Amino acid sequence: MTTQKKKAKKKAVVELTRGDVLKIAAAAAGSIIAAPLLTTGPLSPFGQLKQGQLEGENYAGHGAQLGQHHWGMVVNLDQCIGCEYCMRACTATNDVNAEEPWNIVIPEKTSAGHTFFLSRPCLHCQNAPCVEVCPVKATYHREDGLVVMDYDRCIGCRYCQIACPYDARRFNWEDRSDEENPYVPAWGTPEVERRPRGVVEKCTFCIHRIDAGLEKGLKPGVDREATPACVNICPVGARVFGDLNDPDSRVSQLIASNPTFRLRDELGTNASVYYIPPREGL
Amino acid sequence: MTTSTLPRKLFQLPFSRAFLLWMGFLAVLLVIGFYAAIQVLLKGLVITNLSDAVPWGLWITIDLSAIALGAGAFTLSAIVYIFGIKRLQPVIRLAVLIGFAGYTSAMVTLLMDIGRPDRFWHPWVFWNVHSVLWEVTMCITIYLLILITEFAPVIVDAKFFDGWTRLRAFGHALHKFTPFLAVLGLVISLLHQSSLGATYGVIKSRPIWFKPSMPIMFVLSAIAAGPAVTVGVAYVLEWILGRRTIPHDVLRIITRFSGVGLLAYGYIKFWDMAAVTYYGSTPGVSKAFSLLQQHTPYTFSFWVGEVILGILVPAILFLVPRFNKNPAAAVVGALSAMIGIIVHRWNVTVGGLFVPLSYSPGTVFELPIGSYTPAPIEWGVAVLVIGYALTVITLAVRFLPLFEKREH
Repeated sequence: MTTQKKKAKKKAVVELTRGDVLKIAAAAAGSIIAAPLLTTGPLSPFGQLKQGQLEGENYAGHGAQLGQHHWGMVVNLDQCIGCEYCMRACTATNDVNAEEPWNIVIPEKTSAGHTFFLSRPCLHCQNAPCVEVCPVKATYHREDGLVVMDYDRCIGCRYCQIACPYDARRFNWEDRSDEENPYVPAWGTPEVERRPRGVVEKCTFCIHRIDAGLEKGLKPGVDREATPACVNICPVGARVFGDLNDPDSRVSQLIASNPTFRLRDELGTNASVYYIPPREGL
Repeated sequence: MTTSTLPRKLFQLPFSRAFLLWMGFLAVLLVIGFYAAIQVLLKGLVITNLSDAVPWGLWITIDLSAIALGAGAFTLSAIVYIFGIKRLQPVIRLAVLIGFAGYTSAMVTLLMDIGRPDRFWHPWVFWNVHSVLWEVTMCITIYLLILITEFAPVIVDAKFFDGWTRLRAFGHALHKFTPFLAVLGLVISLLHQSSLGATYGVIKSRPIWFKPSMPIMFVLSAIAAGPAVTVGVAYVLEWILGRRTIPHDVLRIITRFSGVGLLAYGYIKFWDMAAVTYYGSTPGVSKAFSLLQQHTPYTFSFWVGEVILGILVPAILFLVPRFNKNPAAAVVGALSAMIGIIVHRWNVTVGGLFVPLSYSPGTVFELPIGSYTPAPIEWGVAVLVIGYALTVITLAVRFLPLFEKREH
């Protein structure tokens, strides 16, 4: 009885024929050949991507590949007086919910206890956490360094909001089509459509002005028509906009001739907004 | 012929008063739930208590918990079909059913949670391979298809399909793929059960999230608690139906497995805590935890909810032989582990969002600590999801041959 059982067990466990061994060997060989083909070779869905990244001069993780321009901003904390004009002009021009502005201005203190004002647009990171986490590529890098939204693609999962280190993203919790904008018309007129309910939105560096301006042969950051509303309205010139790729642009020159820093640079976000600290230091 | 009539007799559960009462109760849950869901769809997420500071809340917690509690399906399928422990076969149908209920519940919740439910299909069309959430979406979709395929043979065995010989043959033919599906299911599940944790673990700017242990803890806790839920449901069904559903020795093996799994999870959790808050603490993390301790019942819910109820109590009930033999102890243990999972997912999601971002270079400005209590409407949708899951399980138990012995 017991020996029979043992025999039966043995039989059930080991049943490899020569054919099986050959099959396994063939599968293993196939896998070895397929692996490089699928990961780095011409069949790989990632192959193209890696190639593109390696070729890009400003390789930044999965980040942006820059073209001719790289739009950026310099905010001079030493000059900012905290008037909030930038916030108001932005809210009017982009028809933003006044209670949840894209652009914020906050009173701050240096370590010596002196007040300064920090204003913050979207920083248009070249290695943007929001772009990496979006499940549908509704937010993406443009070749000119801008991080923009496709409001027709966004599913409203709000993961980008959670991933953004700078609290720069706003969700449309409700339909705002009947809402009045308290900053219109005193601070500007809406130049873009209101975003629908259920999508995430953010500062665009007034992308509509940049694109339209370039088509007319204007220079964003120099010609007012092609420059973000917040920059134009600043009464003390604390915000400067321009092409970081152009060494002669005002932003590039300011960065070259001043001490600058970027917000939470240690996260590796590679932001396109540079800050000039207050003269006494932070 | 005998095989098709005998089990059905065994299984007859008449429309007794108790059953009708239970169905009535489920109907009430569903009515409340549908009302809440329609309100949300009509008015938008503004009627929830979610905000730009805390954009994820109760629903994401439910979503994560439902997927974790449905993990019994892939774990037990892998044990039976990959590791060849055929003794546990009788539990597979129930495990797959609970997995199906869990995963579809998660999808319903997600559909309510996204701002544009009409665009739910976008991740399938517009790929972002760098996004953890994209990977999770794809995996959950594929895994749901696997669950449906695994469950198809059970559905076609229902009395309703008695005349449909072709369909039944097709359903049974699908069963031949079960081992293959188990392998695929294991791979896909290990991926998304962990990446649900990675969803939080990769966010660099959130101090209490950003750590590599996040995916490990998510997948381990799911592997441990998922099978326990299956056991708990099996025992409860046995009390309701008044007959053995799944052999007790099988259930006892699974609770033991679950107990060991919970201890493994506890071990990782211990070292995670030691590394993050003691040995390798950073100013950001320390500050985040002290904020949570001051403003939220985080410490209490962590120790009582996650550690005592989530790990210690069920581990003892599952592993000490005296309790292991006791069905009531197994049910209590399963409930306890379930609470542990839910509290953990809540603490990760909401706790992590309560800690305000800090990006200002100055010394004064701080965003306020987040605040969030689910709105009644959010509880309403929660009721919908719970009612839905219970309805699926009830109908399946009533109409499908879940516990028959069939030769395959």
